[in-house]
Amino acid sequence: MQKYVIRRLLLAVPVLLLSSLIVFGLMRVMPGDALIALMGESGNVGQKELAKLRKDLGLDRPYHEQYLLWLWQMVSFNPGDSIFTNEPIPVSLRKAIPVTLELATLAMIIGLVIAVPVGVLSATRQDKPSDYVGRVVAVSGLSIPDFWLGTLVITFSAIWVHWIPPIGYVSIWDSPWRNLQQFLLPAAVLGFRLSAATMRMTRSTVLETLREDYVRTAWAKGLAGRIVVYKHALKNALIPVVTIIGGQLGTLLAGTFVVEQIFALPGMGRLTVEAILYRDYPVVQTNVMLVAATLVTLNLIVDLTYAWLDPRIRYR
Amino acid sequence: MPATNPRRTTRRDVTRRDFLKRAGWTGAGMTALVVGAGRGRLSAQPAAYPEWIPASPKPAKRGGVLTRASAWDPPLIDPRLTQSVGLYQFAGLTSNRLVRYVFSDEASGPSDLGLKGDLAESWQSDSAHRVWTFKLRQGVKWQNVAPLNGRELTAADVKYCFEAYAKEGVQTFTFQEIEGMETPDKHTLRIHLRTPNTLFAQNLAEPIAIIFAREVLEEDGDLKKRLIGTGPYILKEHTRKVRVVLQRNPEYWDKGRPSIDEYVILSTPDDATRVAAFRTGQSDIIWRASLSDAEAIRKTNPAAVVQSFHNTLAPFGLALAQDRPPFNDVRVRRAISMAIDRQKQVDTVYEGHGIPGWGVPYIYYQDKAPTVKELGPWWQYRPEEAKKLLAEAGHGKGFETTLFYYEYFPQMTSQVQLVQQELKKNLNIDVKITKLDYTTYYGRYVDSKWDGMSWGFQSGHAIGLDERTYQYMHSKSPKNFFRVNDGIIDELTTKLRRAPDRAEQRAITKKIVDREFDQVLRMWMPYDNGFLVFQPHMRNVAAAALRRTDGYGSPTLARAWMDK
Repeated sequence: MQKYVIRRLLLAVPVLLLSSLIVFGLMRVMPGDALIALMGESGNVGQKELAKLRKDLGLDRPYHEQYLLWLWQMVSFNPGDSIFTNEPIPVSLRKAIPVTLELATLAMIIGLVIAVPVGVLSATRQDKPSDYVGRVVAVSGLSIPDFWLGTLVITFSAIWVHWIPPIGYVSIWDSPWRNLQQFLLPAAVLGFRLSAATMRMTRSTVLETLREDYVRTAWAKGLAGRIVVYKHALKNALIPVVTIIGGQLGTLLAGTFVVEQIFALPGMGRLTVEAILYRDYPVVQTNVMLVAATLVTLNLIVDLTYAWLDPRIRYR
Repeated sequence: MPATNPRRTTRRDVTRRDFLKRAGWTGAGMTALVVGAGRGRLSAQPAAYPEWIPASPKPAKRGGVLTRASAWDPPLIDPRLTQSVGLYQFAGLTSNRLVRYVFSDEASGPSDLGLKGDLAESWQSDSAHRVWTFKLRQGVKWQNVAPLNGRELTAADVKYCFEAYAKEGVQTFTFQEIEGMETPDKHTLRIHLRTPNTLFAQNLAEPIAIIFAREVLEEDGDLKKRLIGTGPYILKEHTRKVRVVLQRNPEYWDKGRPSIDEYVILSTPDDATRVAAFRTGQSDIIWRASLSDAEAIRKTNPAAVVQSFHNTLAPFGLALAQDRPPFNDVRVRRAISMAIDRQKQVDTVYEGHGIPGWGVPYIYYQDKAPTVKELGPWWQYRPEEAKKLLAEAGHGKGFETTLFYYEYFPQMTSQVQLVQQELKKNLNIDVKITKLDYTTYYGRYVDSKWDGMSWGFQSGHAIGLDERTYQYMHSKSPKNFFRVNDGIIDELTTKLRRAPDRAEQRAITKKIVDREFDQVLRMWMPYDNGFLVFQPHMRNVAAAALRRTDGYGSPTLARAWMDK
């Protein structure tokens, strides 16, 4: 197990290096730069001032030097300042990460609370109306994009119930109730999408497991349906489900980018979208690396969860 | 008992045909629901919304919190470094200018561009219009916030501020006009200009020319974190991507004002969310681009007050690389202009509620908005004549060119496509369109080295005549983004700066505009006027020409109040 974890962590290094090269390259390939964006925001900046700013920020150096410098900053946990706002990036991240983390956690909880019971219900009531409903919901979740669902939810909440989450983020520590109001709808939008694939996977794996010999034996022993399904079938059906949840973490993070924008939440998504629009290289690069590192870590955790779910699995 | 039969195969209760039929009906139903809910009574007759909402005759009530969901979020709050509306949606409330344009409760109508003293009590220039003397109000205090702690404002503060603007940043063009300044006493500022400019006071009344605190700049080295002024509101909080909170300045020099206790601007990037915020009462003011958008809000909030905002200029137009072929030939520019049906754009893209397009605000040279006919022969839709003229210019078979743009609002893409179709159909000009993101677009556009065409702009903050003429059209001006290089325009815009008489100014401005139209120097395109929608309890919030209450015209909120 220990060897396995170390090997996986070592393998993460080239993955992260490759990610860093891609994001660095993409940002440089994109037309326009942060200074031009700054100029656009400012109205009018002279060429002389522009050249000075470029020099001050090191943007006049060759690309390889810029890359190595940035890499060193990342390794030394000092990613620098935002070009656009001058705010130190760790400060921006300290403000944004808790928002995204809270949103993603709530979305995950909502997604699982919907997906697993509905998936199991669909499987146990195969081809019954409740199964059809569950499947339609799952297909809707897969096919409805977050931005559309988010827009619909906020528009119709305003029209029908004359209520939308209060705008203007407040921390959970300052006002838990207001914070919950702000996060519930966006988390539900994200969670609905997340639940779709998980629901479908739960349904099919539970269906498959229910056809196993040991389940038939359990039925034959006269065990209650709930015991058979939840104790014997579900746990064994969960491995592919966990895999798909792990794979969806990326989708979940991508979803926060859109949902944060719609529900005016100041998380990582908004920070990154704005940074991309303004070509704020250090912020985009740091955020992408952070997301890459998070995904690598989460995937490792998911892989390690298999052993807990199925003791037959051994790591080499 | 659960269905666990392993041999059981899928039961086809629903056939493929049934499924498709049901899915079709469900889809159609959903679409109808969404369209119905979002757009309101599109087929209904457009309501006649007033162009001006006069000041309330009732005495102002104190108190209340004004909130507004805003699309704009200032990346920095240093007035030397940005002209962004994100900052000036509130900077004019924390800080004053020397002079200002009339507020909503003082104006006779949207086109009233009268000047009033803000920090200056009076001002005058010498006969040559090179020396301007401003007498400051006495007893004006900086906000009671460290390090100013409510000390008195002096002429030296204003001098320091103007010197800082001239030294670096985005306002250098205006303030480098100043040759020198003197402060004969604590409350007098004398400004010597390099060249005569009768419009200098208007330049100081631009919403961006606010007076900031020297102590902050000296202590911090910049103004990126603190904005302390002499204005009616104190900046209590600026959390990027969340909110700006302004609190009433209890020691404001204009006694009894402002009426509203707090103004909260909520950063809300998504339009649907801003609309939802207004519908649910979380926002008191919202701007809508089209009539149907305003109508949709009125459907759910029938008591909402709508002001039909009539722009006095079009900020966007077809910019041509007129310093090189084929666009350096006036016949080509005229032919292109005549091949574009502007009225069609107004009728279709802007639902009949738009202006055909001109660059200098008409209020500076005539009383009523010009009709398409008044714009002159080259601005009429005459495709046959356009074809002949292009043939005369040696391009009878048309040519290929490019056009890049940034979609400031969705209607713009439709306009660009209509222009592309009409140029192809009427002149056989193949226009290859490139839609860019803002950063790329802006960088390329202001660089002024591009070929072909661009969907050009003039910035939105400027109110004054000098900005809209000399600064945007003189060949030597750094803001001459349309690359105008016309000797007559240079001469007229310079002459305008030396004309003190209002009637003479109007006459010269008319000549500038006529010349611009005749030579098709900037090919303006239709623009919508838009609508400002207020909650019914808002008073004294009407937007005036070039001064939208939610944007650069925000200083007028110093006189707003809430009737509830």
